[in-house]
Order: sequence, then C-alpha cells, then structure tokens
Amino acid sequence: MSAGQFAFAMNVPTLLFLGAVLAFPVVYAGYLSLHKVGLAQLRRGEFPFSGWENYERVLEDPLFWIAVKNTLIFTAITVTSEIVLAVAIALLINQAGVWTSRITRFLILLPYAIPPICNGLIWSFLYNFQFGFLNRILFSTGLVHEPVNWAGNPDTALYAVTVPYIWRTLPFAIILVHAALQGIPRELYEQAAIDGANAWHRFRQITLPMLQQIIAIILILRTAFAFAVFEEILAITQGGPGDSTWVSAWYSYKISFSPPNNFGMGSASAFILALMIAAIALVYMRLVYRRVTL
Amino acid sequence: MNDDFIAKWELSRRRVLAGAAGLGLAGASGAAFGQGAGPWATPPKSKVDRLNFVVWTYGDIYARISKQFETDWGVKVDSTISSFNDHPTKLATMYAAGEKIDVSQSSPFSFPNFVNQGLAEPIDDLPGAADYIKDFTPFTKQVTSIKGKTWGLPYFSAVWVWNYNTELLEKAKIDKPFASYEEFIEHCVKAKKDGVARYPIMWVAGVGLEQLPGTWYQMTWNRGGAFFDKQGNHMLGAGSVARETLKWWANTFEKGLDIADPESLKVQFVGSAKAFGAGNNLYRGPNHHYTLNIANDPAQSPKAGKIKVLGSPGEGKTMGVTHVYFLCSANRDKEWAWKLLQYLGGKTKDGNYTQAVGLAKDAMLGSGYQSVMASDVIKTGWAPWGDVPEILRIWDKAAYIGEVCSSVYQPWHFPWTDQLNIEVQKCLTGQITADACCDNLIKGIADAKRKV
Repeated sequence: MSAGQFAFAMNVPTLLFLGAVLAFPVVYAGYLSLHKVGLAQLRRGEFPFSGWENYERVLEDPLFWIAVKNTLIFTAITVTSEIVLAVAIALLINQAGVWTSRITRFLILLPYAIPPICNGLIWSFLYNFQFGFLNRILFSTGLVHEPVNWAGNPDTALYAVTVPYIWRTLPFAIILVHAALQGIPRELYEQAAIDGANAWHRFRQITLPMLQQIIAIILILRTAFAFAVFEEILAITQGGPGDSTWVSAWYSYKISFSPPNNFGMGSASAFILALMIAAIALVYMRLVYRRVTL
Repeated sequence: MNDDFIAKWELSRRRVLAGAAGLGLAGASGAAFGQGAGPWATPPKSKVDRLNFVVWTYGDIYARISKQFETDWGVKVDSTISSFNDHPTKLATMYAAGEKIDVSQSSPFSFPNFVNQGLAEPIDDLPGAADYIKDFTPFTKQVTSIKGKTWGLPYFSAVWVWNYNTELLEKAKIDKPFASYEEFIEHCVKAKKDGVARYPIMWVAGVGLEQLPGTWYQMTWNRGGAFFDKQGNHMLGAGSVARETLKWWANTFEKGLDIADPESLKVQFVGSAKAFGAGNNLYRGPNHHYTLNIANDPAQSPKAGKIKVLGSPGEGKTMGVTHVYFLCSANRDKEWAWKLLQYLGGKTKDGNYTQAVGLAKDAMLGSGYQSVMASDVIKTGWAPWGDVPEILRIWDKAAYIGEVCSSVYQPWHFPWTDQLNIEVQKCLTGQITADACCDNLIKGIADAKRKV
C-alpha cells in the first residue's frame, strides 16, 4: 500500500463520520425543503414533491427578511465585539509577570462551561425589569433613575441579547488568541524595544500581524455560529418584543415546530440560512484567510 | 361555523338536559363521584407492558395518576413532560420520529391542527364515551367537537377575570374597584399620581396563545366586539371594537398614560401572578381565574389574602377556555390508551373524576364536566384562594374563546397568532399604531393560510 493509499484509508472513517453527522442532515434538509412535509408526512415517510414552493413562501414572507436583518445585526455586533475583546483580554492575561493573570485565565473559561440555555436564563433574571440585578446595580449606583426594560424594549432587546451571547462565547476566542500570542517569538519584541518601539508600535507592527491568521479563523467560525444563534433568544426574548429579536434560526424553529408544523418550509428557511453562512465563509476565505496565510 | 356551533350547542344542551333527567331518574345525581360499576372499571381484553403520555407540566398530578393507574391495572405508565410552550414541539417531534404515544394533551389552539394532521383519534364509539359527552360543559363540547366527531376529554377549564390589590386600593383612597373602563383609567392615574403604584396595571401581555392575545380578545369581547363574524370574515377594520380596544390598551403604555407595568410584555399567567403578588401593582388582568392560587398563596406571595377577584365592566361579559387530553393515533393499544385517557381526563376505576376533582382542589382549576362544576368540590376547593360565588358568577357570563375569535378552529390560527403577538407587541411598545397593527393582521390572515 502506498503512502497516499494509506492516508486515504486512514481518512475514510472520519469522512464517513462527518458525512453522517454533518453532510447528511444538510442534504436531508435540502431534500425536505423541496417537499410538502407536515407531521403526518413525516410519520408516514411519504413526502409529496412541491418543487420550489417552500422557498417561494419563505422568500415572500416579510418576517423572514426581518429575521435575516436581525441576524446580520446580531452577527456584526457579536463577532466584532468578540474579536476586539478577545485580543484585549488575551493580551492582558498573557502578562506572565502578573500573577493574577493565571487566576484570570482560569476564570475566563467559566462562561464557556455554562450550557447556552442556562446562560440565557441567568441573563433573563439579570435583565428583569423590576427585580433584575442589573437594574438594581445601575439604580443603586445612580447611573439610572428609572429601571431600564432591557429585554422588553424593542430599541434595546436585540442589543441586550448580544451581551449574554458574547459573554458565553468570548472564552473560545480568548483561548485561540492567547495560544497564538504564546507562539510569537519574544526576540521580536526585544529587538523592537532596542530599536525604540513603544508598546503601541510593538502591538501594531508585531502582535497584530502575527495574530491575523487566528483572527481570520475566529472571524469565520464565530460568524457561522452567530448566524445560528438560538438558545439566548429562546430563553430571554422568544423573538419579542414584537419581531425585534426574531433571528433566522428562531424563524426556522417556529415554522417547523409550531403548529401547523410546516417542516418543508422550515427546512427551506434553514437551508437558505446555511447557504448564506456558506457564502459569507467563502467571502472570508477569499478576502481574508487566503491573504493572511500567503 | 357559528351556525354549526349553535346547532351543536342546542343539540348538546338538549342532550345534557335529557342526560341529567336520566341520571336524576336513576337516582344518580352525584355523577362525578363513586360509580364503581361502569365501562371505566372493566379491564381491556388485550395486554400491554406499559403505556405512556406526553403532557405539559403541572405539579405532581401526573406522578400521582400514573401511580394510581399502575396500582389499579398493573401497567406501568411512562410520562414525557415539558413546559406548556414546549409541549406542541415535543409532541410533534415524538410523533414525527415514529414513537409510540398513547395519550397526549392540547390547548384548544393546537387541537384542530393535531386533528387535521392525524395525531388524534375520535372517541365517540369507545365504551363509556357517550356518558362523558353527556356530562361535558358547553366549553368542552366546543373544543372537542371537530368534523362532527368527539376527539378528547377535558383537562381543565378557566375563565378570564380581573384581580386587584386591596391594600393599594385602600392606600389610594379608592372606595371600590373599577366598574367601567373610564373608572379603571381614573384609578390607575390616581394611584400613579399619588405615588401608590409606579405602574398601577399589570397586564398579561407576554407572547403566547392565550396571554397577550387573550387579553385583547377578552377586552374586545367585553366591549361587545369579536374578531371574526359568523361567516369567518375578520372584524378588525376601521372603527371595529377590536381596533378601538387596542388603541385604548396601547394608550396605557409608555407613550400614552404610562400606567402599564413594562414587565407586562414578558409575563405569562403564572409569572404575572407572582409579580402581582409582590404588591407593586393595583390591578392585574384580565387573565385566567386560577392564578389566584398563586397570588393568594402565602408560600408564594407576600400579599396573600389581599388579592381579590373582580368581574369585567358593563354587563360583565368575559370568555373561557378548556384544554383537552386526547387519544393519540400513535397509540400501542387503543383499548388501553382509552383506559389511560380516562384516568387523565375522565373517570378512574372507582368511577370518580379523580383528576378533575384533584385539579379543582389543589390548583383551583375549573372542570370540563358539568357534574364536577356543580359539586361542592369547587365551592370548598377554591375557597382558600378566592371568592368562589363571585368567580362562579363571572363563569356564568363567560363565552367560549372560539366565539370571540373563531379562527381557533382553523389550522392557520397558530401562525396568525404568531403574527398577532408580534404586531400587538409592536403596537403596545409604540412602534406602530393600532390602525397599522390591525391592517397588518388583516393582511396576515392570507399569509397564515399559506403557511398551512
């Protein structure tokens, strides 16, 4: 057996596994999206072909476009915030001379260990209008004079949901950036210091260029995940007030799992979401990732 | 549809009267209790190892009834229990995945969908079903009768009432609770102005099937309006009672009088009862009557004993609802599934309406059976939490929710309600006007029909 054949054979189990758990559901959703699928059809396993009808219905639905708009806003805010915060925090905890950074490194991982739905519920209590901890702090410190209806006001609800999401997912980005920081040779900083570069110049000319690759990876991964945000929406706002926090995954869920259980239409909307994520990932790959890896 | 309903109701009323007369002749006036020998006591011929039901959570009632079933019949009962809002999803997923489901449960809003999609089986021909049907209340008949058949047994019934906080009423120097909507506004404005309550009214306006929509439905009905006419045409146009009611309602929020608690937009029945029990609001409502068992429970409410029930303004017209248990078409054995269904929504082996009686005593829930509603169980069981004669007076003025909004019988009601929740919340938060909201909902009817 040649080395190539051996490598192929070793990859087959992984390929099969990924095909079963990743590719199959996507392909199946694509299949369902082209058929009339309600509860009765799912039970019987017989799906009448409906062509592009489900896609047409989704694309004609104003609520779908509101959900897409909210998803884009949510993604832009969370991904940008995560990258900025991850770099800042990773730089802080990377200070070997500061003993507290070791404790911080441990504490920072905690939010990542909290199940998303629990995270949503915790923040739902924090945001409570009358009895929430957040309003209590703001009120007692004199920052507000009236309680703020964070999750119940259409002007603030979407932004309110971004905070718990960032809080939960930020550690992932911090870990990646921190790992990348560890890989930057110390000599570069020493030479720069000898040449008279200040902290800002060292960050701008050494750290940031060396982090570009990992930032590109975070950008791709976090964008894909943020596009599919669901748990925080379910736990905190359930899409409300009004449609101010309806996002794409919530739309697919409601269409599929609320009576009349139109799984065909739900699959079509989910498939459109998957295509959007794929398109954005491709753009990132072409415009960002390739450039920084060259 | 309404003609059908009236015809059905007349027929049912005659049947009920005839049934009651028959029972009277047989000397069985206490039909709710202790009729040991009947179809409910006969063991099925077939054998099963176990049975299951899929329901939404309510205390420990399901653990108790499962245990009783196992003791009586030697068959273990598995339960899948989720929250009310998650129940349709859970049931749909299990059904779609091909799992066995013997008995399940539905709100009246999901039920026509479940029937249309083949989840439920009719019960008319099953042993003892006719006796149950005779004892159904009018609400129950309306929920369970679809396409000329009966599709379930009642879980519980409730009517929409108002609550008020006697302590705050006294503090605001108001002699008696409001009797008109003008008085309601006067009281709230006074309570706010005098610093008695920052937000005098806690609405139940959280997203849901009965919560936010129910509040609008009830107030519209009370003012003489409805959402659809007998032919199924909407009644949301310019000048309609529903539209005017929404304008009035939206004006109680921030951009109008600012008397409505902003938390109203998030709370469901139980959550609002708990919040009201904290004592910050003067009025709460209109909402299900049984939440008094939270607001007046010393273990859950600092203001227990100070929360009173109030009927609606004018003639006091209100509405009510009944939720149901049904025999699932994915059952493993129809005879046994029927037996289990009776334990949840009918009689146990001893001939008692065990579950209905327990729910009345433990949870202040109304029954879908006339015999239970007429029994002392209600009078004594509800007494710790509220003024029973007053609630029963309100009950007498209640119409079934399907009369107020007849789309509940339609499969498209559910997606339309999704839109209703969105549009009305946008209206209440000042994003759109009541006119725009109603116009959007009129357009939304066709959209909802396309989603079915």
